[in-house]
Amino acid sequence: MKLFELVRERQWTPVTGYLIYIAALTAGYYYNLTFVQLGLIDLGTRNVGMAPGDVSVVMGALALFTLVVAVVSGIVMDRRGWSTDLIVKFRLLFVVIAVQLALTIVAPSVSTSEQFVGWVVVTSLTLGLGIPVTFSFMIDFIPVRDRGYVAAIVAGLSFFVAALYPVEWRIEEFSAVMAIAMVPAVLVLGVLSVKRFAIVDALARQHEQFGVGRFCRPEAVRTTSVTFWGLVVLMFGVFFIDSLGFLRIIETPIYIYTSWQSPELDTRLFIAVMHVVGALAAGVLYTNFDRKWLFLWVFGLFAFTHLQYVFHLRFGPDSTPPLLLPMFYVLAVSFYTTLNFALWPDLSTPETVGTHTALGVGIAGWLATFASTALALYSEGVGLSLLAHLRYVNALALLFAVSLPVLLYVHRASVLARGDPAS
Amino acid sequence: MNLELIPLLIIALLMLSVGGAEVETAEFIMEGDHEMTDHRGALIVGDATVTVPVDADIPGPVFVIGGELTVEGSVTGDVTQLSGVLVVEDDAAIDGELLYVAGTERLAEGALIADRTTVDVTPAEPDPVAAYAPIVLTALLLALVGAVLTRRRPTLLENVATATREHAVVSLTVGGLLFVTFLSVFVFMAFTLVLIPVSILGLLVGLLTIAYGVIAWGYLVGQRLNLSEGGVATAIGVVLVVVLLQVVGRIPIVGDLLVVGVLLSGLGAVVLTFYGLRQFEPVRLPE
Repeated sequence: MKLFELVRERQWTPVTGYLIYIAALTAGYYYNLTFVQLGLIDLGTRNVGMAPGDVSVVMGALALFTLVVAVVSGIVMDRRGWSTDLIVKFRLLFVVIAVQLALTIVAPSVSTSEQFVGWVVVTSLTLGLGIPVTFSFMIDFIPVRDRGYVAAIVAGLSFFVAALYPVEWRIEEFSAVMAIAMVPAVLVLGVLSVKRFAIVDALARQHEQFGVGRFCRPEAVRTTSVTFWGLVVLMFGVFFIDSLGFLRIIETPIYIYTSWQSPELDTRLFIAVMHVVGALAAGVLYTNFDRKWLFLWVFGLFAFTHLQYVFHLRFGPDSTPPLLLPMFYVLAVSFYTTLNFALWPDLSTPETVGTHTALGVGIAGWLATFASTALALYSEGVGLSLLAHLRYVNALALLFAVSLPVLLYVHRASVLARGDPAS
Repeated sequence: MNLELIPLLIIALLMLSVGGAEVETAEFIMEGDHEMTDHRGALIVGDATVTVPVDADIPGPVFVIGGELTVEGSVTGDVTQLSGVLVVEDDAAIDGELLYVAGTERLAEGALIADRTTVDVTPAEPDPVAAYAPIVLTALLLALVGAVLTRRRPTLLENVATATREHAVVSLTVGGLLFVTFLSVFVFMAFTLVLIPVSILGLLVGLLTIAYGVIAWGYLVGQRLNLSEGGVATAIGVVLVVVLLQVVGRIPIVGDLLVVGVLLSGLGAVVLTFYGLRQFEPVRLPE
């Protein structure tokens, strides 16, 4: 890792950049995993008393609105040159976190549908703006060589903490934890927003060296290219499959209380550790192999995982499910999350990082997650059995797992047909 | 999951299939404490503690391949013990045949067993020669293969050994992922019965690949011996590696982790280099 070289050479400014990136992204992703993805459902259904179907509609709206805000923010950031201005990004992040802190504190008090919708709209604004701001930090702080490993650390850490705390997936729990954690972040960002520091100025120049992503050398990936949109579709598929399956699994007591919400600390610790192992493995693969191998592993793991759940539901629904089931789920999730952190900045240059991260994370991450969450809630609402639901998810995972190598093969064949065997 | 259970599980599934039972209804209990009061189809007891309580009545067939099965009530079908512990209490009943192959058996005097058969597979007396003979034979066989490969196709071992040495983390990662994923896939395949041959074949290929990795480690060690004869050096290296793995494996936890690390990085290196047919080159990343 380049980081070890920097530490050996006592170059503390770039090392500080690593720490800022890891702290900011880990906290942000933990907030997303716990407060937004799980707390929102609890807030809508339990506190406000809305039907799961209605919550699904609000969540769908949240996803769309977040996507629109993210894309607009990303484009504006690129056009105005804010993507390469670290000070501006700190100021934007300060605004985002300050508003999110207020939203987090008031969340348990939301009690009517109108308040809930209003709360969601403001949350969408902050999330949408936060996506290009935080994900584009990669070009300021992390050299290309280390992006896979750093992405792995962020994914592993946030999942590790989320798997262990809080145990109760209730909005009150999430709100208390997040509010306490966000106060120091708001203070630090507030100071960085108004006062100039030499170290920040030095960090702000690093994008000139680190900015061009791994897949943009020698030629930059264009926003309108097939490469970019092909990857958006693949990542959309990954996020969609994950959420679609997971949201129904966590509603099933025999699965959730023997894994993610087990009263046994050992079990939750096992899941937390597997998240870290999976993320680190993904970091190693991302750094040493072509990205297609990671996608193959992810789809393959999801297909196998859902196959196991379907098998267990058919043949042993009353027996305690083995830990192997959540273990494979966790591995797949850590794999693609690591990929998600590193991929979009690596498909960007400093001039396109705002737009590319907004489109990538917005469409593949947010839109897919909330669309599938809405669909999962809908399937629950119409009484679709877990077995039938997971069968659809499994079919989707298998479809992607098979389509990817076929598409790669067809692409290679078309290149050869054009008479360009070297490419 | 205890890895030693896998071959026993496949044997149990084969016996289940030959016996005409419906594998779809079979339940495999891998871990934890369980009380069986109601059950349908076959039951396979893995690394778990299962009790059939007094007054409970479960059908067979039941296979004990690990853990412990305590019968206080009754089993109306056959019970086969391949490993683990089987306890049948006073007044408990096995109405079918009790087939004992291996493991610990504690049958109370008042236990009611309709038919009992014992299959004598190994002498019970601990014999050091018999205990170490398979290891010695394996080491010699691997040493022989290593020597032949070094003389005839040295590039194969050179490529695998280079990947193990220069890309240890990548080899370990790939080896670990392949091991966990494919082991689960092959066990999963065994449950379909139709794919048991594929499952057995897959496990065999996996074992041979791990063995190839051990030979590559032996090649690495052999190179350090500075002997003029490469084949002999590899053979000695392989023997040293096998002995070292045996010795280190006796240290609890740390030893086990080291052994697993060595075997998995060897496995990963073999796969990364396409069994030594080419060098492994990771993608080149800019600074």
